[in-house]
Amino acid sequence: MTCLRILTLVLALTGLSALTSSYALAQEDPGPLRITIEEGVIEPLPFAVPDFIAENGAAKEYATKIARVVAADLQGTGLFREIPKDAFISAVTSFDSPVQYADWKAINAQALITGAVSVGSGGRLTVKFRVYDVFSGAPLGKGLQFGGTTGSWRRMGHKVADAVYSRITGEGPYFDSRVVFIAESGPKNARKKRLAIMDYDGANVQYLTDDRSLVLAPRFSPTGDRILYTSYESGFPKVYLLDVANVRRRVLDDQPGTMSFAPRFSPNGRTVLLSLSVGGNTDIFSYDLASGQRKRLTSAPSIEIAPSFSPDGSQIVFTSDRSGTSQLYIMPSGGGEPRRISGGKGRYNTPVWSPRGDLIAFTKQSKGSFHIGVMRVDGSEERLLTTSFLDEGPTWSPNGRVIMFTRETAGASGSSALYSVDITGRVLKRVPTNTPASDPAWSPLLK
Amino acid sequence: MNTGTYISGIGHVLLIAWVLFGGLFHRSQDTVSVKATDVSIISEEEFAALTRPQAPPVNPEPIAIPTEPTPPQSEDSAVPEPATEKPPESPEPPQAETPPAGEENPVVEGPPTPPPTEQVDVPEPPSDTPTPRAAPRIAETPTEPVPPETQPSDTVSEEVTPDPTAETPKPETDATAPPETTTRTVTEADTPASSAPIASIRPVARPQKSARPAPQKPPAEDDATAAAIAAAVSEANDTPAPQTETPRPASPSGPPLSRGEKDALRVAVSSCWNVGSLSSDALRTTVVVAVSLSRDGKPKPGSIRMLSSSGGSAGSEKQAFDAARRAILRCGARGYKLPSEKYDRWRDIEITFNPEKMRIK
Repeated sequence: MTCLRILTLVLALTGLSALTSSYALAQEDPGPLRITIEEGVIEPLPFAVPDFIAENGAAKEYATKIARVVAADLQGTGLFREIPKDAFISAVTSFDSPVQYADWKAINAQALITGAVSVGSGGRLTVKFRVYDVFSGAPLGKGLQFGGTTGSWRRMGHKVADAVYSRITGEGPYFDSRVVFIAESGPKNARKKRLAIMDYDGANVQYLTDDRSLVLAPRFSPTGDRILYTSYESGFPKVYLLDVANVRRRVLDDQPGTMSFAPRFSPNGRTVLLSLSVGGNTDIFSYDLASGQRKRLTSAPSIEIAPSFSPDGSQIVFTSDRSGTSQLYIMPSGGGEPRRISGGKGRYNTPVWSPRGDLIAFTKQSKGSFHIGVMRVDGSEERLLTTSFLDEGPTWSPNGRVIMFTRETAGASGSSALYSVDITGRVLKRVPTNTPASDPAWSPLLK
Repeated sequence: MNTGTYISGIGHVLLIAWVLFGGLFHRSQDTVSVKATDVSIISEEEFAALTRPQAPPVNPEPIAIPTEPTPPQSEDSAVPEPATEKPPESPEPPQAETPPAGEENPVVEGPPTPPPTEQVDVPEPPSDTPTPRAAPRIAETPTEPVPPETQPSDTVSEEVTPDPTAETPKPETDATAPPETTTRTVTEADTPASSAPIASIRPVARPQKSARPAPQKPPAEDDATAAAIAAAVSEANDTPAPQTETPRPASPSGPPLSRGEKDALRVAVSSCWNVGSLSSDALRTTVVVAVSLSRDGKPKPGSIRMLSSSGGSAGSEKQAFDAARRAILRCGARGYKLPSEKYDRWRDIEITFNPEKMRIK
């Protein structure tokens, strides 16, 4: 009987509870309807770039080309999808004419970029543009105008694309930047390498050295006006400093009996980190460019190589095999006890600190494959972005969104090329170059 | 709906209270165990003497149980105790005072509860008291039945003679028009032979709730004049013409959106929420966006605004909000499919866009 009593009580309480719940639901907050959305879609944002308006006859040559550079930059990110011109309903005949939003909505153009180009006296090129959020029916920010020489029309296109990209994504720009790399030629067993520089998209290639001596691992200075690289010109690997403007160069820390390589600028550009091989042991040193003073930062009997500063200059990430295999370590910029951050199976090399400071890109060799990956500065959240026969040498874009690296194909006829991947790993593409290429290093954003 | 909810809630509470304190499952019935009766052996002469016919008593005792068993001296529980087996002297079961059926209806609409004194007339349930012998209750000579008119009643009762002037009770029908709904005076002479209703009236519709009373139309002016006056007043006040839209109530009324209807709206918006072009910072930014919809389900672009944001940098708020606004406008371009009868419920919406699950892992 007691059980029956308890059961009845429980049932009654349950009924009362359900009644209370239903009452609470019925008497919900009388305010506006509230919903939460936690899952969306990840797809390129459709945009339209009609040919820019040529405001005078001399500008006709550039109006279309600049618009094409803008479209290619945005499309190349993988975050945008250009709507082809033949789908356009209305034409933009004047830079200041009102936008027919309905026509652009009809073709699902979510962003519209209009621009105008004029060439003034003295060959000064002026480009102005506006970005529209079609579905909001309003401009996305104010219009902008750039000026320059006609010879820099590609840069002006990159500038426009950078502004559009930043306004829509919130990311920092990176189109108006350059890449220094090693241009290769000849068979694999007798390959010739030259130092070259190009726009980030592979255009405007210029060679900085000839192919008489082997060159490796170029690195831009924080201001982009100087380049460090390793050359075998003297028969031994030595670090050189090259001035981009006049292509003058000089060797750094030319000590007899030493080999120097894998240089990297400090964030302020006044100090260079490099690895020196002395007496069969390789350690990391800092080199003051002004005074020529050298300071040892590691002193272990193992190999310490490939140092890279954190953006604030307080820490250094590097590779060491002190544990038996190549792993990543972090130590204070003035030297000190290193802390291992890589914990996965495999060999880790060529770490590079992100310009944002939150990630470290690296090359990983594991199970017969090479990967480009990223991890947090504490070694957590390791993600491998690529996999191939040989991927190595990552370099960050100025905004920390994209990584460029070298990919080499297998076999005697295999060659190397430059690829880029964004940090999501979803957008992988080859960077067009006229020749096989390797060892890319991304410049900071041009001024 | 609320009345039923209240009644049901009160019913549950009473049921719990009843179970806890009412003694529904009182253990008194546990004491009903094997009944035993003391017997004694008597001789045949004693039996004959006992069963010998006797003259009927002139005044029979009301309680014809001459051999009422004497309670034993001991506290043996097996001994029957008629007093405990009888129902309570004043039976007031909870059902009588608060019948469940009575709780289903409002008290003011139900019949008056009969006073407790009238419970006396309720015949008592059969008792387990031992039945007295038949001998004292059966007379040898049957008496004449007492005519009913010779039995004056002790209580004064109402006149039971049918009153010819009284209305004949009408048979209960499903729907009967109340007399006050008619506009014509019906005399008895006009009363139809049959009291069955010829037609039922239409039930009165529930009045529309509105926060503002509807503007009263001037009775003595035609539509053209009214329109002209309204236009003149509107122009003089520099205010827009009166909207044909229903005035916005202070708080939404009507049934809320069902879970399925909310999910449908959520899916519709999320299908256009493209976070692929957002920066890492923007993907850490949660924004709460307010939007008002027109009756056809289309968002009003001017009503979209960011109420709050959290998680990201200040610069990423704009990108996160822009993406949210594009999502609302794109998928609402043809109008969100929402129940029009619940427009008050979805006229104003606050949407929280939380990209936590969409971040780069």
